Amino acid sequence: MSGLLQALIDGLLNPMTTPAHGLTLLALALLMARQPQRFVVLLIFALALAAGFLAIVLAVETTPARTVLLADAAALGVMVAASWAPKLLAWLLTAIAGAALALDSPPQAVRIAEAYATLAGTAVGACAILVVVAAIAGHANADWQRLGLRILGSWIAASAILVLAVQLRLS
Amino acid sequence: MRDHEHSNIAGALGVALIAALVGASQTASAHIVDGSATGGFMGGFAHPLFGLDHVVAMVAVGLWGAFLGPPAIWLLPITFPMVMATGGAIAILGVPVPGVEIGIALSAIVLGGMIALAARPPIAIAALIVGAFAIFHGHAHGAELPPGTDAVAFSVGFVMATGLLHLAGIAFGLLTRWPAGRIGVRVVGVGIVLVGTAFLSKAI
Repeated sequence: MSGLLQALIDGLLNPMTTPAHGLTLLALALLMARQPQRFVVLLIFALALAAGFLAIVLAVETTPARTVLLADAAALGVMVAASWAPKLLAWLLTAIAGAALALDSPPQAVRIAEAYATLAGTAVGACAILVVVAAIAGHANADWQRLGLRILGSWIAASAILVLAVQLRLS
Repeated sequence: MRDHEHSNIAGALGVALIAALVGASQTASAHIVDGSATGGFMGGFAHPLFGLDHVVAMVAVGLWGAFLGPPAIWLLPITFPMVMATGGAIAILGVPVPGVEIGIALSAIVLGGMIALAARPPIAIAALIVGAFAIFHGHAHGAELPPGTDAVAFSVGFVMATGLLHLAGIAFGLLTRWPAGRIGVRVVGVGIVLVGTAFLSKAI
């Protein structure tokens, strides 16, 4: 039982302890905060995440998920910085973020039950971050607060571009 | 009389800022010469703070943005990190850019000069100038990124420190709301030109 609990906690913390995941979730949450249909964005993310986990369960081979995730974070960051978010593009990037995050989170557990617990924890942790950060950012209505969020978006884009270059160089 | 006092305070602030920057900077260039950047968030965060030429240029971006007012006050600090990251990516991918050190020194001279002269070009020109120099700054730092899993934390720290230097410049630049503050900010611009000139003489 303690093994399952530990696996669940590991999964919950995964999006917060993996910088590339945190960066993408933060960018997506900032974008989500400015979307009129936040629930749809969350639903798309959750479905894509589930699809990604299903691929892991079906033993899909190693994918360039980390690189895709960083490219997605860069695009999301640019959109937040530019305060430009066409609905379809936002949904597409949301789906990519969900699937790539899942594929980049293969559980390390040996036991099947613990692996499932880790995946469940990751899903709950990622969605919780999205909801909480988007709710907070959604209340940022003053001009300087909106500006601060756009600057944060540019920082996310810049960080993701740099790391993406490192990844491409290494590959 | 009050304006005179404000002018003195602003001038003293400017001199103090330059002195603090000189004191804080132990190395004389934007990049770590032996390429031994420390990894992790703190390594990335500290990295831009230990190159005086980089620091003064970043502060100058914020100062000039504040001087120009909206929309430059937010457009320049938003544009700079993304273009700088592109310059960094160019370096990481091994594409050479000639005259990086000269470009960095020139950035301090030009941006400081713009502040000192209270120049107000159209926003597109201002963004172009800042963007062009951002490539040089990004290129100088790009090669310092540690490979592997540490790269994300390092990059986040690096970009945050750069952004905070912009914000420091903007905060100081808000003094331009007062006549005496405008003088103080322009004095800082002169200081930035002097620092840039010193680096240019080393780079040539």
